[in-house]
Amino acid sequence: MIHDILTAIQAVATIQNLLIMAAGIWGGVIVGAIPGMTGTMAVTLALPFTFYMDPVPSILLLVALYKGSTYGGSVSAILIKTPGTASAACTALDGYPLARQGKAGKALNMALYSSVIGDFVSNLSLIFFAAPLAMLALKIGPPEFFMLMLFALTTVAGVSGNSLLLGLVSAAFGLLLATVGEDMYGSFRFAFTPDMQAGLAIAPVLIGLFALPELIKLIVLRADTREEAATLGAQHVTRAEFMGSLRSILKGSAIGSVLGAIPGIGPSAAAFFSYGEAQRSSRNGENFGNGELEGIAASESANNGACGATMIPLLALGVPGDVITGVMLGAFMIQGLTPGPMLFQTNLHEIYMLLIGMLVSSVLLFFAGKATMRMFQHVSHIPQTLLTPLVLLLCLFGIYAISSSMFDVAVLLVMGLVGFAMFLLNIPTAPFLIAFILGPTLEENMRRAIAISRGDPMVLVSTPITWGFAALIVFVIAITIRREIRKNNDRKALAS
Amino acid sequence: MSKPVLRGLLITAFFAVTAALLIPIHVPRPAFIPGFAPPPDMWPRTVAIAGAVLGLLVLAAALLRRAPPEPVDHDGSSPLRMAMRLAGVVAAFAAFLALVPVAGFVVAGMALTLAMILMTGERGRHVWIALLAIGGPVALAIFFHSALGTQFPQGLFKPFGF
Repeated sequence: MIHDILTAIQAVATIQNLLIMAAGIWGGVIVGAIPGMTGTMAVTLALPFTFYMDPVPSILLLVALYKGSTYGGSVSAILIKTPGTASAACTALDGYPLARQGKAGKALNMALYSSVIGDFVSNLSLIFFAAPLAMLALKIGPPEFFMLMLFALTTVAGVSGNSLLLGLVSAAFGLLLATVGEDMYGSFRFAFTPDMQAGLAIAPVLIGLFALPELIKLIVLRADTREEAATLGAQHVTRAEFMGSLRSILKGSAIGSVLGAIPGIGPSAAAFFSYGEAQRSSRNGENFGNGELEGIAASESANNGACGATMIPLLALGVPGDVITGVMLGAFMIQGLTPGPMLFQTNLHEIYMLLIGMLVSSVLLFFAGKATMRMFQHVSHIPQTLLTPLVLLLCLFGIYAISSSMFDVAVLLVMGLVGFAMFLLNIPTAPFLIAFILGPTLEENMRRAIAISRGDPMVLVSTPITWGFAALIVFVIAITIRREIRKNNDRKALAS
Repeated sequence: MSKPVLRGLLITAFFAVTAALLIPIHVPRPAFIPGFAPPPDMWPRTVAIAGAVLGLLVLAAALLRRAPPEPVDHDGSSPLRMAMRLAGVVAAFAAFLALVPVAGFVVAGMALTLAMILMTGERGRHVWIALLAIGGPVALAIFFHSALGTQFPQGLFKPFGF
């Protein structure tokens, strides 16, 4: 085995492979940082180029693009409150307020360190736990999936904003919006126009909800017109700040690794889940959403932590965990490799090369992130009155470029207005978004479970795993209510 | 009417209207549903009813306990003036969507960007405004066209490539 590993290290450590990985990471970071351009897009566009490459470098290029784009999403999330990717939405919650406080450099650095650590832990989990985790994931059926997602939703609803009730209302809005379009048996729901038959795409809803309300706020409320745009300010994360966030980074990495290994969950849900858990358990939980470094650490470690782990079901079982790994499955096939248990027997050398290459790409991510930070720092000098219209412009062109659909552009603009209305009504947007993303999978698993059980809804709480999730949901609701009661009492005491 | 009460009413009304009016009309049940699969309106109806109940709870909480104030930072303008600004934003978005088939995506993008900049109150930095409003859409169109091959809708200025 040692000999195999050493041979694989030798094979990976060529100038050509390192350059391919560096280009992939760098390209991914830039793509991820541009609103409207996604990691899926980067990986898909790069796929034709891999036809002419050797198997391992081609897969490493795609993995590097995936990792780079997942981190890159945090750059625009922090600097202009426009998450480049859905998994960076939580990063915007604390990153942008920090940028407004003149601490964008700190926020970007914390995002980078957390991403690199999360990514590294995820790669280690891929190496050591690929087979056992994949077997565990196989035991999770539709009822368990449903309860797991309900638990993730409840957690996010509980920790976003100041009220559990409003968090749940926001999640209900998101779940309802996710039902627009064709359902799993071919019925059209809320298809007011022919465009709506295909449902609403994630990108315009996400970007509209997070990025555009800033512009509308600036125009309608004009509270910020005199304020200059975010400056990079203090660059370095101090040792104390890093150590204060380390627990959340490690926890986020673990959450990302576990959730990433479950097909269908992916980096976005992992980031929200980790953010919620960090807010619940942190001493600075009250400050989450107002510019808390630990919030960025939790979110970024989890979303990058899920990247390597999504390869677990792909490599061990041949099951892609999300769209990007689905594209990678295609790349494996093109190269004549069939992911699954047999791959570990027939192509062990390639597997070792891939795993070692992924570890190396974590290190490359650090340097690409540092370089990109300098490149994007000029964004911070643009005044708000010019920056926010520029963001609108980026969003309009980016969204149109994804699907060549004016309907998606209209959805973007409408969601901007919805986001502004939610801001005025103090309804948090994070539960809305995560419910919108998880909604279709949540419903599909619920309907499958009920269909399998011949119409018995009790199937959703019929196994020990579902009981465990149900207990966790009750626990989260109970501690959130307790926290709100305490906060009310504190406020009353202060008033008197 | 206080903000929390208005919020509770709006939430309840939205979900109640969805459950009672929109779902029966816009979520048709197919004639045949395979096996024991739940019908397509089951999930949206469940969510809408849960949302309406949550809305009632929000309303009850607003009526029963004295909620803390929820101030929104603004420049001190009157509510009417702010409402006019919001109407301006909505009108600009609608005008953009209407203008795209006529003038093309790039030109409509220029008009919307210029309108947005002026609506933020920016009146100085003329060169930057011109660069952003005119150069921005052109640069982005060229970038996405060359990187992804995106064909943006063209209009009146088609001979010039817009």
